[in-house]
Amino acid sequence: MFATFKALGSRIRTAVSPRQVDQDFHAELDAHLDLLTHENVRRGMTPENARRAARIRLGGVTQLSETNRELRGLPLLETLAQDLRFAVRMLRKNFGFTAVAVLTLALGVGANTAIFSVVYATLLKPLPYSHSEQLYNVFQQTKEGANTGWSYANFEDLRRQSNVFTELAAVQAHQLTLTGHGEPFVVNTSVATAQIFSLFQVHSVVGRTFYPEDGKPGAAPVVVLSENLWRGAFGGDPKIIGTSINLDKQAFTVIGVAPSAFRFPQIAQADQIWIPLPADPLFGPWIPRRGGHWLQVIGRLKPEIPLPQIQANLDAVTAQLAVQFPVENSGWQARVAPLQGVIVGNVRPALLVLLGAVGLVLLIACANIANLLLARATSRAREIAVRATLGAVRARIVRQLLSETAVLGLLGGIAGIALAYGGVGSLAAILPANIPQFNPIRVDYFVLAFALLLSLLASAGFGLAPALFAAKSDLQSSLREGGGRAGESGRSLRVRNILAAGEMALAMVLLVAAGLLLRSFNKLLDVNPGFNVQQMVKAEVALPRTQYSTPQRWLGFSDELLARLHAEPGFRQSAVCIPAPLADGRVNLAFTIVGGPPLSDAESRTANYVSVSQEYFRVMGIPLLSGRAFDQRDAMSSPPVALVSKALAGIYFRDQDPIGREISFGFPPNPPVARQIIGIVGDVRDTSLGANPSPMMYVPYAQAPFPGAVIVAKSAVGMPGFSSAIRRTIRSLDKDLPVTDIAEMTQIVDASVSQERFRTGLLALFAVMALVLAATGIFGVISYSVSRRTNEIGIRVALGASRPQILAMVLRETLTLAAIGLAFGIPASLAAARLLGHMLFGISASDPATLAAVALCLAAVAIAAGYIPARRAIRIDPLVALRHE
Amino acid sequence: MPAPTKSEILQGTLDLMVLNTLTSMGSLHGYGIARRIEQVSEQALQINQGTIYASLVRLLHRGWITAVWGVSENNRKARYYSITKSGRKQLQAEAQNWQRISSVIGRVLGAAARS
Repeated sequence: MFATFKALGSRIRTAVSPRQVDQDFHAELDAHLDLLTHENVRRGMTPENARRAARIRLGGVTQLSETNRELRGLPLLETLAQDLRFAVRMLRKNFGFTAVAVLTLALGVGANTAIFSVVYATLLKPLPYSHSEQLYNVFQQTKEGANTGWSYANFEDLRRQSNVFTELAAVQAHQLTLTGHGEPFVVNTSVATAQIFSLFQVHSVVGRTFYPEDGKPGAAPVVVLSENLWRGAFGGDPKIIGTSINLDKQAFTVIGVAPSAFRFPQIAQADQIWIPLPADPLFGPWIPRRGGHWLQVIGRLKPEIPLPQIQANLDAVTAQLAVQFPVENSGWQARVAPLQGVIVGNVRPALLVLLGAVGLVLLIACANIANLLLARATSRAREIAVRATLGAVRARIVRQLLSETAVLGLLGGIAGIALAYGGVGSLAAILPANIPQFNPIRVDYFVLAFALLLSLLASAGFGLAPALFAAKSDLQSSLREGGGRAGESGRSLRVRNILAAGEMALAMVLLVAAGLLLRSFNKLLDVNPGFNVQQMVKAEVALPRTQYSTPQRWLGFSDELLARLHAEPGFRQSAVCIPAPLADGRVNLAFTIVGGPPLSDAESRTANYVSVSQEYFRVMGIPLLSGRAFDQRDAMSSPPVALVSKALAGIYFRDQDPIGREISFGFPPNPPVARQIIGIVGDVRDTSLGANPSPMMYVPYAQAPFPGAVIVAKSAVGMPGFSSAIRRTIRSLDKDLPVTDIAEMTQIVDASVSQERFRTGLLALFAVMALVLAATGIFGVISYSVSRRTNEIGIRVALGASRPQILAMVLRETLTLAAIGLAFGIPASLAAARLLGHMLFGISASDPATLAAVALCLAAVAIAAGYIPARRAIRIDPLVALRHE
Repeated sequence: MPAPTKSEILQGTLDLMVLNTLTSMGSLHGYGIARRIEQVSEQALQINQGTIYASLVRLLHRGWITAVWGVSENNRKARYYSITKSGRKQLQAEAQNWQRISSVIGRVLGAAARS
């Protein structure tokens, strides 16, 4: 064993310092020669003859050294080192070529690495929790197949009756106001059952997490802080444990601090707190009600239970619930889905499309480099032929050329990784908020390995074809022909044309995709949301329930607030609502039509619920289509009324007039109330610009007040003025109330399309990269073709061809390439566009206008790329050209 | 295992002779080994003396011999080779193997001669 190591050591030494070993061997042979000569002299030879005889007896020194070197060293390693040294020398000699190739590859690899780092962090890397693959979301599913949450009572039954989970927890999230530590501020509050920490197997940094008793109704209110909040707002003071903090003016005892890596359910929030469900002022009162589906339930599955068994167990639980509580549970099912899939579900298609797009960019980059290499291999045919004549075997030549491309690939890869490092930072910054960043997005070892592998694969891809071509080239013709245009076989030329046309086709796929997304995005921005956006501002205020304990006080607050705002010169046009369209989540409630036809089991009637002050429709610019809007008559004690949107009237009343009819619904935990419809208002797009307007039902804020509201105002004052006015007004009412989410409506609309903007922008960027690369490809092929045909063009000019004829000839070649590219590009684009599917808005995947525009654009770019070499062609002087070579 | 080619057998023979020489003579430089082999094989083995060095490198790599730098009779820097323990073991095994093959060959040849 030791001897083997020693031998290997000596071999590596040989490979590393061949000179020293050679010198030693020569010394040894010299000694040998001396001894032989000495003996020959002793036998009576003259010194000269003795020396010559000794040489003959020993054998050729050069040959012996060669054999010795081969035997001693690792021949492969040594020739590899030789190849690499040579490759670096060749690349340095052709600096321009190297720079273009490395830059091209760097762009491809860099873009791929950056996108892959996002894909890896969100889609591939597991959630940062222990055995996160066991974590599943448990849904309750409606008759229509929509996944929703659970009521607390149903959750408790699920916990008791299911036997496939080791632990189950339920969570909700909202915001509470923290007072008593400087300025009042709003904290992201995760409301959870006591098992939340044991479910995720998270241990506290300081203090403890929840005990089961903390989650029992009536237990003393406790709170766990996130590490970030603890360090930021409380200075990381461990003495905070055991003291109490005020949340919505209610005292909570701090029991512990959760590690910063744990962010659930508010994955994007570094600052958050966890409180047990019963202690929560908002959701606590909902505990006894079995109706409602407001808790997200997460379970840790026991290992190795097959999915059918899990589903059977859940079916048993829901069947039992349906029997025991038919009103709330008949027709409802339970389903499980992996937690990570649930979290990343809506961004997966967009990310995969981006990854595909950036992959195409790399492919085009590789085709480009392959083209460059082919051109170079042709001009190097002579060099290679000489090598072959001197005895280099084909494998050796291929190996040497591959070493060159490997060095090229590595350089490109390193430059690409450097690009990716920069790119990832900016990418993470422009990442829309709805792409969950539970794992940090960065170039880590895995991503690095991916980038290196990618660049090596790429270099193998673009290097293999030229290397094989070069090795196959015909020795005789290569040697016979002159240096410059030696031995380009028709085959290699054909391959280069195919590559250039292929680049066009791939670029077309990307351009069509980008074009479709851009046009969708423009259409999306052009959509009328149904309410005023310009000059609209909004802000939010939440009222602590301990102080503002009754609906009368909530209403009193908002009335007073509006009265004071209306007195401000710039804010006569202001109103309150909850929730605000596009800015807040929707509140989708089931309702019944009083005296309407009974519903079948598969049907349900739901609409989005908004509580608004009477000025709301005027301020927001939502038109009243018939009937009357809310006014002073609709006070808290007046008969309950509602307004419905045109969509609701159209869907649920069809040809009947809804005005005067009654619908019944209630915002939990309040029971349903029958309300008379007094008017119909225009539709608004409240969830997203891209979605059809939902059916809406509005109630007067006076009849449905909340402990908090969104203030909306139409004002020319602008943000800074509004911001200070609203803060001043609210402080004058209550100095402990923080104002949050101050924003212009245009920002809200912008934010609502952030994911669309992100993917459209990136895809457009990649498409431009593809276009530039494809144009370079065409340029390369045509200029090469022109320089090859210098002679021919010279003859044509000498024989009387006019300049326009020459120009047309070259451009015809360009257009042929472009046409072939488009011929393949159009069907490929149509196929790829179908993958975009639901990302398109208001435009068909086979939109002819986009296709035509892209085709024209590509043809124009190809002509431009071909025009430069074409101009060189018409300037050819026939005298010079004929003497060429 | 593939059948050894002709040159492998010849190389093997030379290696064996080198090992054998080093066993009987102790430490020796390349020239000495070559001389000795020529003597014992009574010049029957016509080799370039340089061939010995390929054999020496092979044996060194296998760890069957070692080499140290020393000074030759005529005051030149020279490498002296000597056999290692595993070299001796190998020689023993090879010698047995060689004898077996020789005896087989001898028997076959003898049988052929008799018939």
